[in-house]
Amino acid sequence: MQPRQQALPAPGGPRPAAPLPALLLLLLLALRGAAAAPAGSEAPGEASGWQLDPELPHGLLQKAARAALHFFHFRAGSPSALRALASVQRGRARINSKKECQVDLEFTTERYNPKEGEEHLGKCSAQVLFKNEKPGPTINVTCTRFMEKSQRQQEDYQLYKHMQQLKTPLEVSSIPDSHGHIDPSLIPIWDLAFLGSSYVMWEKTTQFLHYYMAQLSSVQQWKTDEDAIDFDYTVLLHEFSTQEIIPCRIHLVWHPSKPLKVKYHCQEPQPPEEASGTEEGSAVAPTGFSNY
Amino acid sequence: MKPLLGTLYLLGILVLGGLGYDRSQAQHRQEVVDKTATSWSNVETYPYNRYHPMGEIYQWMNLIREKYTEVVTQHFLGMTYEARPMYYLKISQPSSNHKKIIWMDCGIHAREWIAPAFCQWFVREILQNYQDNSRIRRLLKKLDFYILPVLNIDGYIYSWTTDRLWRKSRSSHNNGTCFGTDLNRNFNVSWCSIGASKNCADLTFCGTEPVSEPETKAVSSLIESKKKDILCFLTIHSHGQLILLPYGYTQNKPSNYGELIQVGQKAANALKAKHGTNYRVGSSIDILYATSGSSRDWARDIGIPFSYTFELRDNGTYGFVLPEAQIQATCEETMEAVLSILDDVYEKYWYSNSAGKVTSTTAVLSLLMSFRSLF
Repeated sequence: MQPRQQALPAPGGPRPAAPLPALLLLLLLALRGAAAAPAGSEAPGEASGWQLDPELPHGLLQKAARAALHFFHFRAGSPSALRALASVQRGRARINSKKECQVDLEFTTERYNPKEGEEHLGKCSAQVLFKNEKPGPTINVTCTRFMEKSQRQQEDYQLYKHMQQLKTPLEVSSIPDSHGHIDPSLIPIWDLAFLGSSYVMWEKTTQFLHYYMAQLSSVQQWKTDEDAIDFDYTVLLHEFSTQEIIPCRIHLVWHPSKPLKVKYHCQEPQPPEEASGTEEGSAVAPTGFSNY
Repeated sequence: MKPLLGTLYLLGILVLGGLGYDRSQAQHRQEVVDKTATSWSNVETYPYNRYHPMGEIYQWMNLIREKYTEVVTQHFLGMTYEARPMYYLKISQPSSNHKKIIWMDCGIHAREWIAPAFCQWFVREILQNYQDNSRIRRLLKKLDFYILPVLNIDGYIYSWTTDRLWRKSRSSHNNGTCFGTDLNRNFNVSWCSIGASKNCADLTFCGTEPVSEPETKAVSSLIESKKKDILCFLTIHSHGQLILLPYGYTQNKPSNYGELIQVGQKAANALKAKHGTNYRVGSSIDILYATSGSSRDWARDIGIPFSYTFELRDNGTYGFVLPEAQIQATCEETMEAVLSILDDVYEKYWYSNSAGKVTSTTAVLSLLMSFRSLF
């Protein structure tokens, strides 16, 4: 964000006794205030450059970036390729004739689990189409590579081997615990849970609703065999605009060289008038994408 | 001070007992609070890089007050719904000057544990450094700090004992079928007009009427009574890494919007310089979402010029369940941001006067000089 007008006076200087005429001070403040009036619809702190229509929902670019990342994670199907949003660089949005909200944006990412001393800033560009309050936006997203495909596959296989060695049944009450601790040996479980949750969060996102994974609250089943990790668990999703916590039961099947399979069932908070309160879905991640 | 507080506490219990409040519940909860408390005989060993249950925070306030008696007093603010005492700490350098006030509250939302951790950190930093650090010493010459470490005490305790992700207070509604009001939707500013819910089951429930909750009443009463002297109102939340200005309830901007943005952005820069953490700055409705009944908007509208909400780390990776390992870094960077705002507030109200005084002094001097040259 560009700094506005003149800086405040530097500290220092003598401290005498007589007071400054109040009028002069008021005049100075008024002039400063007038010079600082924001121009146009550009929200401070949001992407600079492209104009953002004030009619559009608040924080739209951030929502679009997060939705794009959720979709990216599901499509990549790799716990080693997880990313966190760093910042939105540029973005623009408009509403089309079908009342759908089209967002084009560029954003930077960092590694979800940054390793010591590692500083990877990736870049993504995405087109996100929010379908007039229908969840599950249509997303086109490409990101620069964090690491070579072979390295990513190697890390995935290492994670897979580590997971196979975990003692079952998993003695897990919640990850992280109340104090934010995750036992290092259990971090791969958190990552895998987040991978599955990404699909769910993408499917539920609208231009008004967006989600975070707050906690992995319980593990119903953790099965490892030669073919795959079979993971049945409950996460608590945090929806931002309503601040609600939504429990979702997720069942995923993962193997490093196969597409991710996800089934889920979420418990929605009861809305006042409507009756139905749950939703479910399932999918298999598409194959053949190599632009990560 | 202590016997008075104790009496008030007991009075509160008795009054609510008389109203049919379930004392056995309060007793059980008090036991739970006591059981989880660890004892520190010495505030020097209190670990600021860990999260503390309410019992320990009450104890910490006592220890702080006892150790820094020359500058710290503890004040009763009011009782919570579940009949717990709310206390704030006043940090004030004794002086004949009339001081202005900086208010900071933490933990209006129960699950945002990093906020009370920051309030405690802030108090420790001020008290450990006010004698040696000229920056802090200068602030304390003109400003008193009022710090409320936990606003939503009942909710905070509930997040320790029962539901880590609880947000609201613990008031009972609809014949005990519904619990909790979102205290940050309960203030008397465009109450429940937007971004809040009239449904008691929702997490943004605005309450039964403006300031319906005892916690909101307690804070409002004090702020209202001192509003002429309060220059800065800071309310600490998590998560999101944001410095939010008024308003949430309208697209209109406060009269000092430009100044608030400038001061806010300077604070975000100071924060980033510490550990590289990115914060965004803007009005709540622009960069977050529409809300009504928030304490920050209410404070601005009763005339407090510098009113900000801080949303601390992180950006969603851990969210509310921020690892203890991040407490120190979060508090260090946030400290820089708050001090930056306080410096700007100080310079606006006291340095500006000095600048003017320099001018008039120079004018007098030059007049004298010119008179001298006549002889």
